Amino acid sequence: MAYSRDEVKAITDKVLNMCKADAVEVRFSGGERSATRFANSSITANLIEHDQEVQITVYYGRRTATASTHQFDDASLKRTIESVQALAGRKPENPEVMPLVKPPQQYAEVDAALPSAVSFGPAERAQMVKISTDICEKKGVLGAGYIPKFDWVEATANSEGLFTYFHYADASFILTCRTPDQTGSGWAGTTGVKDIRNIDAEMLTTVAADKALKSAKPRAIEPGNYTVILEPRPAARYLSLMLGSLNARAAEEGRSFMSGKERGSTRLGEKVFGDNFTLRSEIGDPVLRQSPIGQDGLPAKSVTWVEKGVVKNLFYDRYWAQRQKKEPTATSPGMSLVMEGGTATIDEMIRSTKRGLLVSFFWYIRPVDQMTLLNTGMTRDGLFLIENGEIVGPVQNFRWNESPAVSFNNISMLGRPVPMHTGEAYDNPGTALVPPMKLEDFTMTSISPAV
Amino acid sequence: MISRRDFTRTIGLGTVALGIAPGSIFARQSTSPVPQVKDPKYRTWSEDALREARRLGCTYADIRFTFNRSNGVAVRNGQITSSGNIGFGRFGDEETFGFGVRVIHSGVWGFASSPVVTPAEIRRIVGMATEVARASAMAKKFDVRLAPVKAYDTFWQTPIKVDPWSIPLEDKVAELVAVTEIMQKAEGVFMATAAVNFNYEWKCLATTEGSFIEQVFYYTAASMTATARRDGQVKSRTYNPGTETRGWEFFTEKDMRGHAERVAAEAVEHAMAKPVGTGLKDLILMPSHSALTIHEIVAHPTELDRIAGYEANYAGTSFITLKDVGRLRYGSKLMTVYADRTHPGGASTVGYDDDGVEAQRWPLVREGVLVGLQTNRETAHYAGETSSRGCTFANHWRNYPFLRMPNVQMEAGPAGSPTVEQMIADVKDGVLVDGQGSFSIDQQRYNGQFAGDAFWEIKNGQKTRMVTDFTYNAITTDFFANLDAVGPPETWEHHGMGGDAKGQPVQSNRPSHGSSPMLLRRIMVGTAYS
Repeated sequence: MAYSRDEVKAITDKVLNMCKADAVEVRFSGGERSATRFANSSITANLIEHDQEVQITVYYGRRTATASTHQFDDASLKRTIESVQALAGRKPENPEVMPLVKPPQQYAEVDAALPSAVSFGPAERAQMVKISTDICEKKGVLGAGYIPKFDWVEATANSEGLFTYFHYADASFILTCRTPDQTGSGWAGTTGVKDIRNIDAEMLTTVAADKALKSAKPRAIEPGNYTVILEPRPAARYLSLMLGSLNARAAEEGRSFMSGKERGSTRLGEKVFGDNFTLRSEIGDPVLRQSPIGQDGLPAKSVTWVEKGVVKNLFYDRYWAQRQKKEPTATSPGMSLVMEGGTATIDEMIRSTKRGLLVSFFWYIRPVDQMTLLNTGMTRDGLFLIENGEIVGPVQNFRWNESPAVSFNNISMLGRPVPMHTGEAYDNPGTALVPPMKLEDFTMTSISPAV
Repeated sequence: MISRRDFTRTIGLGTVALGIAPGSIFARQSTSPVPQVKDPKYRTWSEDALREARRLGCTYADIRFTFNRSNGVAVRNGQITSSGNIGFGRFGDEETFGFGVRVIHSGVWGFASSPVVTPAEIRRIVGMATEVARASAMAKKFDVRLAPVKAYDTFWQTPIKVDPWSIPLEDKVAELVAVTEIMQKAEGVFMATAAVNFNYEWKCLATTEGSFIEQVFYYTAASMTATARRDGQVKSRTYNPGTETRGWEFFTEKDMRGHAERVAAEAVEHAMAKPVGTGLKDLILMPSHSALTIHEIVAHPTELDRIAGYEANYAGTSFITLKDVGRLRYGSKLMTVYADRTHPGGASTVGYDDDGVEAQRWPLVREGVLVGLQTNRETAHYAGETSSRGCTFANHWRNYPFLRMPNVQMEAGPAGSPTVEQMIADVKDGVLVDGQGSFSIDQQRYNGQFAGDAFWEIKNGQKTRMVTDFTYNAITTDFFANLDAVGPPETWEHHGMGGDAKGQPVQSNRPSHGSSPMLLRRIMVGTAYS
């Protein structure tokens, strides 16, 4: 049962009243995080976790401190407040402290907690596992998957009278099928789904199982530069690698790919990517239904980060914006993220490819050089060679070393955006609308027989 | 500027006026939640919980109470910036307390957890965990099989010399500010950061196997980084003592101030360094670096749950198969590796795991041959073993426990083995690698690409200059087959990792990995930049 607006307000009001400080901010988060796991086509974990937290920040002029507690009884709140007040009083002044955001603020209306997601329980998740593992059994593969569910509330209150409340519920279904001889593996999934009816366990399992069977006994081919077709999951992971570079402070301090040639300058306004790369945060998007509450309680607004390859906006936190005499950006680059797509299907991308690779999944991506956005990672769970417009068979996985700063100048085709998580794991908000994409000259540096 | 005012006067004593309804979340809250060590009520509440689980038909149950307190300070260019997981511009403490109940009913696991620690809530959560297990039974293909375990009624605590919470805040801040000020003096350094973090954890586990185990852990972590710019090139250098299960003494022994000038100078040198280029080179890996390599391509692939397929959807499986134990040549004869949850100061050192299995030490690789795996009660039978190695762990009361790696340590060479200086003298064309950088490994832990924090060229037996743009490739068994020297016992160090993600929902744990300096021949370097 999620915390209601009134319940949360009662908690935050109580904390605000108990604090003695120049200013106070209280952040609440709490609710249910549940999950079901299966492996070897049998359920292995099913759980319901509850948690609640208030994070209390007090301000004495520019002295500030934060403490948090997960217990809301009077004794715990009192101890936490006394602790944070004492800490703040003993701390040196922080020149980067900003005044609290004042009400009233207008937030976009987002209905992010639909009944089907709120009530999605362990028995329904087990039923999905049963549907999935029965298909795995029929197809002769082993299924391993994960069904996370969130029913969560985030709220902020401050001593200026601001109060924000956002309740969301969503679920995902993520699946890896493997052949019993361990030579084939396939992935399928859908993430951040607000309406559980949009999870099709049968379809996803069929895709992953077929992919596992088709990827069995891959052959080794030479590393080198390939045309790659990234399905939405690897496309989402790859897209995420450039989001950090949109931070204005890092760019202006000379620590980022977006830093300009002159000290303190940035690449804002420059054409950095190809004509077909456009990236926006679309607050209120009807599919994503993500939070409309931005930095420190400012109302998040839609932002175009990159338009037709030109950097249009960088993210300014409130302190840095004030220092640089700019407007703060309420919306961070990960919020309600939408990459503009095209109309191509993956089949059309394959048919138009003379020699290339169809990529199902990217794994273990890590930065190698942040100034150039050079990253490394692996392919996984289904890599197929394309020749003359047809898939000719599975190939062994590759390690790649590549930069989205290069690749997003080399997009030759785009498909329709779909919801897909941009993070390595699936346990926090992070689903974006991302299209499948065809990239030219993608650098595969070594092979791995790992399946 | 924020104006000063007495906030309580402005808003008034609202608690009374709020009119909290019976049955609201306030009504369910516990009182006096900070648990006292050896408080008998947790034994009573545990017994009640386990009795209730048995009454509901559970064939196994455990309840795990955990209280965790964390505190950290981070400084950038002399200014406090953050604390632990609390975001930029903030500073402070976190406390969290709650319990998780794990049961087996109908042959499958059920788990539920709550931050409200009261007898009524415990009963409710036991019932919920049981219902979750019952509901799961429709999707099981096999029953959970647990290896037997002894019953323990005991208390265990991390040995520490100085409680980190006894050190005044001002002293912690002053130390870190001093460290960043020293680093900032170096011409070219434009950012200097230093951080220290402390963690206290009380954990109380009771099981239907008859165990009641109370444990107290302390963790201390520290690191510092200088970032420099020279001729448009920005590079950093880090001194990262890592994490240990020790008190404030860990921070003082690591002498952050004493390293600050060197770190700053090496950051500037790094910013002026030339690319190392591509090719086969001999590598000397310092223990601060090899900890991560051991972690990724020795510790992870020897986790039995990965081998058995439990992590196939996320962390991955392993290139190792069950048939490989006793047969697989993992590396040269110089390679001997132990798993060890008893190592003093090890970040993964405990008295007992979260199955109630006593901590132990056992071999994984002996003279280059794979001889053992990491197991827990749930997975031991896959390896044909009749007891657990004690690798079950949950990082939070909220989360379910599962197989996590212990400290995994490569043995030092025997007395008289080559020192780093002697290794350098024996290298014609190589690189000495210190600290940790970029790392990426396939899902079966066979193809790894590692960078580091700092790199020095070795030419004709001499350490010549710092180089940059360095990565190396490691095909696990080929890589360790090229292990040509391991330093003597007096050069052995262990390094605690800040976090290691695994599981769904993802949990982060803290293992340590130790070694002496190692010399590996003819390893491919620089391909990431080629």
